[in-house]
Amino acid sequence: MSIRDRNNVQVSGAGSRTIMFAHGFGCDQNMWRLVAPAFEGDFRVVLFDHVGAGRSDLSAYDDRKYGSLSGYAGDVIEIIRELDLGRVIFVGHSVSAMIGVLAANREPELFESLVLVGPSPRYIDDGDYSGGFSADQIEELLQFLDDNHMGWSAAMALAIMGNPDRPELGQELTNSFCRTDPEIAKKFARVTFTSDNREDLGKLTVPSLILQCKEDIIAGRDVGEFVHRHAPGSTFLLLDAVGHCPNLSAPAEVISGIRAYVRAQ
Amino acid sequence: MSEPSDDFEDLFENAPCGYIVMGADGRICRANRTLCEWLGRSPADLGRKRPHELLNIAGRIYYETHIAPLLRMQGFFHEVALDLVAGGGATVPVIANAVEHRDAGGRVRYTRIAFLMATDRRRYERELLKARDAAQDALRKERHFAELREQFIAVLGHDLRNPLAALGGGVQLLSRRPKDEIATHILAMMQTTVFRGVALVDNLLDFARARLGGAFPLERRSEDLIPVLRQVVEELRTAMPHRVIEERYDIAGPVNFDRIRIGQLVSNLLANALTHGAQDQPVRIEATAEDALAISVANAGEPIPPSARERLFEPFFRGDVRPSGQGLGLGLYIASEIAKAHGGTLDVTSSQHETRFTFRMPLPDTTSGTEV
Repeated sequence: MSIRDRNNVQVSGAGSRTIMFAHGFGCDQNMWRLVAPAFEGDFRVVLFDHVGAGRSDLSAYDDRKYGSLSGYAGDVIEIIRELDLGRVIFVGHSVSAMIGVLAANREPELFESLVLVGPSPRYIDDGDYSGGFSADQIEELLQFLDDNHMGWSAAMALAIMGNPDRPELGQELTNSFCRTDPEIAKKFARVTFTSDNREDLGKLTVPSLILQCKEDIIAGRDVGEFVHRHAPGSTFLLLDAVGHCPNLSAPAEVISGIRAYVRAQ
Repeated sequence: MSEPSDDFEDLFENAPCGYIVMGADGRICRANRTLCEWLGRSPADLGRKRPHELLNIAGRIYYETHIAPLLRMQGFFHEVALDLVAGGGATVPVIANAVEHRDAGGRVRYTRIAFLMATDRRRYERELLKARDAAQDALRKERHFAELREQFIAVLGHDLRNPLAALGGGVQLLSRRPKDEIATHILAMMQTTVFRGVALVDNLLDFARARLGGAFPLERRSEDLIPVLRQVVEELRTAMPHRVIEERYDIAGPVNFDRIRIGQLVSNLLANALTHGAQDQPVRIEATAEDALAISVANAGEPIPPSARERLFEPFFRGDVRPSGQGLGLGLYIASEIAKAHGGTLDVTSSQHETRFTFRMPLPDTTSGTEV
């Protein structure tokens, strides 16, 4: 299976610069459906699904590789190399913000800049650091994920994966966006919410823009400001949007924020 | 009778489901009395809250990362399990459906969410999940024990070989010494018993090895098959001197096979035929090599019932025709595995006339000369 298929990479638009959008925990590249098209006129736009999400190749999931965020960062680097994208503007939402930081620290020459949407280097409180959650609350979340079978059912996954020419099979699902393999989703949740990438922020040499929502219970303003303080060369922009997904709730604000930043770069 | 408008007001407030309306800002602008009662909160208490504030922490994360995006993307969500938190801190398990109302420009004007109390259903689902996890756990443990058991069988089988070999050697030494008629008879019986014991242990060992991950590793060489067949027949004649075994071989040139394994296959088939076939009739072994190698062993006697025929080659299958219960039921299983390992097949036909097991193996083009 090629890297393109593994991560369901979609390339659109045209331009001398490339902008790459990465989704976070809980959804797939659909997360960018209201934002990405706005860049197709003057950028090459790259969308992809992390392995385990959306229409990625579930069989490529490897417990060891994806047992830490660096496995996902490795995939980002592989996609940039494989598609020969050159230096990209990497826009990462939620956990993908930190995946972008890890990738940029490993291969800085592949990144023009990073846009970190709702970033958090650590979700669990630690001493003076307030991530927003206790370790027990995160355990509770992992339990809770079992209560909602939002993933493909095993039988449905087989039917859909085996019949790419019959998209109506997927439409029979009630909640048809953001489907993920439930077992992988649980593992991704654990990796996401137990990660600690505070040390990695200081190593950043690629310039970055932090897009922070006003009210975000997943990555609060304190956390966004922490990222800004510790990431050298970062710019902080507070959005008027509320919630954790401004890419859906306030796409215009996200688009103008990114545009202003990449124009200035 | 009251005005229809009052009825709708009553339907909203006292509906058998909790109900909230969120405004364009994503905050609750109305909550019905049913929900307020479930949660022990006043309508004013719920007003201006964002829906995730009604949830426990896990639910909030889930709502923000999964549910809110889903709602924005498809304009609704269905059948989402959530835990609402009541005023006193108790949880109210619910199933929620939601639908957005958008204006002509596609902007969200308001969102309606209905909550159905689902305490028992959610508890039932959790119990199912627990049962699934327990079953998976038990299966994992059972697999581990099964592997240990097979290792035990392998070790036991291996350790039984030496005393059996010593017994066999002793019997042979005694057979060569002068002895009376009774001793002759007893020694012949002992010879048969040792032979059967060795065959059982060999099959057991092979079974355990196959289960422990190895198929049957073959050491194939091109050599004459007939001497191998003759030796096996001779061993069985020695073990069962009162029985007649008729041989007919028509094989020209060498065949590519594993002599130990094919010897074992033939030995299993012959031992079966001698044990289960009519005791007063000969057992016949035939081997031919034309396009394919075919070795068949036939006996007279009661046919094998069709129901048993299907399961003959399964491990530990012991038909119900023999109450004496000889053997472990591994002989035919091992024989068929050996056949498969050679790229061949093992079949059975059974009628009033005879029961015949045939091993067939395709032969490579022999005109090309000796194979490696």
